[in-house]
Amino acid sequence: MSGLADLITGLGTLLTPMMLFHAAWATLLGIVVGSLPGLTATMGVALMTTLTYSLDSTSAIFVLICMYVGAIYGGSRSAILLNIPGTPASAATSLDGYPLAKQGRAGYAMGLATAGSALGTLAGVLMLVLIAPPLAEAALNFGSFEFFWLAVFGILISGQLTADTTPLKGYIAGLLGLAVAMIGSEGIHAHVRFNLGLQDLNAGIALIPAMVGAFGFAEVLTAMWNRAGELAVKKDKSDRTIPDLADLWRYKFTIARSGLIGTIVGIIPGVGEDIGAWASYAAARKTSKEKEKFGHGSHEGLIAAETGNSAVVPGSLIPAITLAVPGSASSAVLIAALFIHGIRPGPLIMIEQPHFVGLISAMVLIATLFMAFYGLTLTKAFVQVLRVPYSYLMPVVFVLCVIGTFALSQRIFDIWIMVFFGLVGFVLRQMKYPMAPLVLGIILGDLLDKSLRRGLTLSDGELAPFFTRPVSAAFVALIVLSIAMNLPVVRRIALAPFRWIGARLNA
Amino acid sequence: MHMALADRLTAILLFLLGLALLAGGYTMDRLEIRQIHPASIPGLVPMILGVLLALCAALLFWSSYKAQERNAELVLSGGSWARLGITTVICTFYALGLVGWLPYFWATFVFTTCFTLVFSFPLEGARRVQVMSLAGALALGFGVALGSSLLFEKLFLVRLP
Repeated sequence: MSGLADLITGLGTLLTPMMLFHAAWATLLGIVVGSLPGLTATMGVALMTTLTYSLDSTSAIFVLICMYVGAIYGGSRSAILLNIPGTPASAATSLDGYPLAKQGRAGYAMGLATAGSALGTLAGVLMLVLIAPPLAEAALNFGSFEFFWLAVFGILISGQLTADTTPLKGYIAGLLGLAVAMIGSEGIHAHVRFNLGLQDLNAGIALIPAMVGAFGFAEVLTAMWNRAGELAVKKDKSDRTIPDLADLWRYKFTIARSGLIGTIVGIIPGVGEDIGAWASYAAARKTSKEKEKFGHGSHEGLIAAETGNSAVVPGSLIPAITLAVPGSASSAVLIAALFIHGIRPGPLIMIEQPHFVGLISAMVLIATLFMAFYGLTLTKAFVQVLRVPYSYLMPVVFVLCVIGTFALSQRIFDIWIMVFFGLVGFVLRQMKYPMAPLVLGIILGDLLDKSLRRGLTLSDGELAPFFTRPVSAAFVALIVLSIAMNLPVVRRIALAPFRWIGARLNA
Repeated sequence: MHMALADRLTAILLFLLGLALLAGGYTMDRLEIRQIHPASIPGLVPMILGVLLALCAALLFWSSYKAQERNAELVLSGGSWARLGITTVICTFYALGLVGWLPYFWATFVFTTCFTLVFSFPLEGARRVQVMSLAGALALGFGVALGSSLLFEKLFLVRLP
């Protein structure tokens, strides 16, 4: 229960006029960023990181959390009105949101999306408060062996679950990220690796320029490459933005289940909001009494998707804070931002800053309240935002990519890195390589490298401790199972018990 | 280009990259002079990554010959090559050429104005519409250049390029 007490203490810290002002503008900006197709939550958080250097650490992290919460929710606006998800997280939302908008019920669809997002985030916050402290304490017992396997598991599972077509491309993206992390001075002997004769590479490739490139510039290119969507303008006179409480109560189990699924997906390293939404949507469809409505404007489907993706936000913060392993691409940027502001995420967080989990939970909670307020009151304004042409928007985004990258260490070289990652990121996306494992590889490369070599040094070159220590053995089993699940025979056998239980429940 | 062909080309590149990582890790200084533990040599993880990347590249090459739906998909289709090409050229010219060569304000002003005009100027439109478009682009260019300069220079104390 100390987690809940910390949450209340955190709320006390944040309920000042200045903090509320930060929450108000940052959440609104987040919703605007998220609602614009081509601008994702990760890009918003990465760009915002460059704009918060001068703030104190609490304000800066608060702004970033508000941006993250707002952007994930904001993606539903364009998913509903344009049938183009503002962020990948809202892809499932468009399946039922856009048909509702076509029927002239866009306002009600946005109201349901708002309620679903708010409830999903609240469910996730509850889990964050309850799970993060014991997880951090358990992680205090992790040694090099366990951290090595944790990093391997994170990249592997992220590659497996985020790949669009084949897990192989996810694995390759993860390996490329790890290869990028090998550049520069390594963490044990300070030996410089693969600097290609460039002194600027001695310190390695900084995460923020790489992320701004892969998620900012690449998205500018993607937005200009794609054709614009068609705005749903039909209006039904009975349309309203405040959702019917009876409607929400009817789907209480869907909301609870989607919140739980979203949070669990968030905890899995590097998987992210889109998977949370799809998993919740699929579960809701499977168990629904109105299956035939899914894809044609189902209220239940819309709520499930939005609850699922929003619950990932606090869920992804759980491993990010306690293990320094991001649960999503956006939380990877948040980890980088935490380091910039002098906060060291990882198992020691509960010793060094015992109230931090409560504080960050309070930040998510306040951001959710602002999100719900804006979502229910500013519907018409958000429709206008979607009318801003890309020819006016994208140069502004790119200018922020350039100057934001430069501002971090005031090196022109970082701008080159940003451009390189933007171009490569665009090509990789077009070829269906997921970005999340790439980012996870960059952020976990150092941990993986140091943990393997430290572990081998501790065991005098013996591999046995990597497989015999209980937590290591559990990770190895999970990794082997994850890879083996790619084989249809193994998948069939492994899923048989779940299918059997599902069939009994449906009967 | 079909995904199968794109995957084959990528697989060759990735295989070469994997070999380069393996060779780079193998030939990397083992720091014997500092008497480090042989299991902690800096080239260990790059070597492992090189092998894994080469293996994945080989699997990707092999899977591209399978008769699967995903292999028949088109890569880089359905979008506008002209818009992509112009955006790439303008953005890289600004980031790698103008910034650092011109003062930041002017580089940003030129970039934003040109980008907006290239994509929104109505060549076939009436004179009044053209003037409005030009004025809008100039105003945006000036606003973005001034706003970002003030924000980063005065508020964040960044010495602009």
